[in-house]
Amino acid sequence: MVEKAVEETFAALFALTDLRQIFRDTKPTYQFNKEQKRQIKEIIEKVRQSLDVIEKELIK
Amino acid sequence: MKQMIEDIEVRAREELFININPIQAAGRLTPEAMKAIIAYGDGYSTCDWCGKPFRLDKIRRPPISEFHVELAKFVGMDQARVVPGARRGFQAVVSSLVEKGDSVIVSSLAHYTEFLAVEDVGGVVKEVPLNEENVITGENTAQKIEKVKRETGKLPKLIMMDHFDYMLGNEHDIHGVAKVAKDYDIPFLANCAYSMGVMPINGREMDADFLVGSGHKSFASPAPSGIVATTDEWADKVFRTTQTVGDVTGRKFGIKEVEMMGCTLMGANLIAMMASFPRVRERVKHWDDEVKKINYFIDEFNKIEGNKVLSEMPRKHTLTKVDTTGSFDKIAQTHKRRGFFFSDELKKRRIVGEFTGATRQWKLNTYGLTWDQIKYLTRALHDIAKKYGINVA
Repeated sequence: MVEKAVEETFAALFALTDLRQIFRDTKPTYQFNKEQKRQIKEIIEKVRQSLDVIEKELIK
Repeated sequence: MKQMIEDIEVRAREELFININPIQAAGRLTPEAMKAIIAYGDGYSTCDWCGKPFRLDKIRRPPISEFHVELAKFVGMDQARVVPGARRGFQAVVSSLVEKGDSVIVSSLAHYTEFLAVEDVGGVVKEVPLNEENVITGENTAQKIEKVKRETGKLPKLIMMDHFDYMLGNEHDIHGVAKVAKDYDIPFLANCAYSMGVMPINGREMDADFLVGSGHKSFASPAPSGIVATTDEWADKVFRTTQTVGDVTGRKFGIKEVEMMGCTLMGANLIAMMASFPRVRERVKHWDDEVKKINYFIDEFNKIEGNKVLSEMPRKHTLTKVDTTGSFDKIAQTHKRRGFFFSDELKKRRIVGEFTGATRQWKLNTYGLTWDQIKYLTRALHDIAKKYGINVA
């Protein structure tokens, strides 16, 4: 369903926006603490999952 | 940085640099506001669920109506409207109260848009001089009112005074001015463009008739955005609805507010402002920490021989005017890049936002920087000074 793909498109964009905020909080040295490293991993995973759903819904 | 669309580049300076630009600091978006822009960027995006009575501040989905109520409470006033920038707030109030030839009292550090709002209606600006500490006091305001009265035979129609000014970031005696306004029975507008959204503000405690704030200066919101708030006593005047009837069609637009030009701040700007609001409500409780950070920064800044601070001390605001004529400007005199050497050195250290090329008097704002970023900034300035042989205590 395209609706699911659209939802995941926003979900991925929002997750990447959270990553933008981590860049903002840690610039210009980007020395991430434990919690920030955990958040980054979570964001990457979230975006991957969203892309998987988008691919499944639209391409496969 | 890659181009986004044709010749429009991606703006990533907030991700890549420490930005000390004096006017940009507290308008930086929250992640929630950035998401709101992604989702609500289309033109009339706030109008999907607009029904009777067909006015922006009455829309319930998304909860724009509720936001207006909460916003008024947040600033300690009875009613609030969102507007495209503080300037439109000044304009709404001035246009409602001031007529051609009327005098309006403003600060000697008033923003130019206060002047334009008065000029727009044919009013006359009368500036209150600063005291020796570059602060506006109630006493100086009273003296100016008496002078205007003597010269024109009439009292001013309005007093507009900055809580914190944009030039020095000094705190002005808003309570003293409000008292004088009450004594003379002159309506009083507090310009909180640099305070509403970063520190606790209460219009009732200020004894203000009108409060004006800026979304893009101090409310983590995109430009243009702003707030005008007032008491029930004044709301009917400033938020009056249209009475006009079309002479051919007989059309009426009953609920539309004249000074707001009907609906005000539509689309992504408003939704971003709403999205930032929970964090803004929280962050004002931590203003003391922001003040600690700027005072720490200034202590370190002053260790560089020749540096001076032109704003009042100790700092009560993160916006600060400094003077480096006795330090970095001496280097600029003989450097092949002149004043740009300083900007070059800052940029090399991933710092931007100073007035490019300026090495005499310039402004900065540390609002929102973490302690790590504040310390990085101070170390960077010390490093630049040492590199060019300027003593650092």
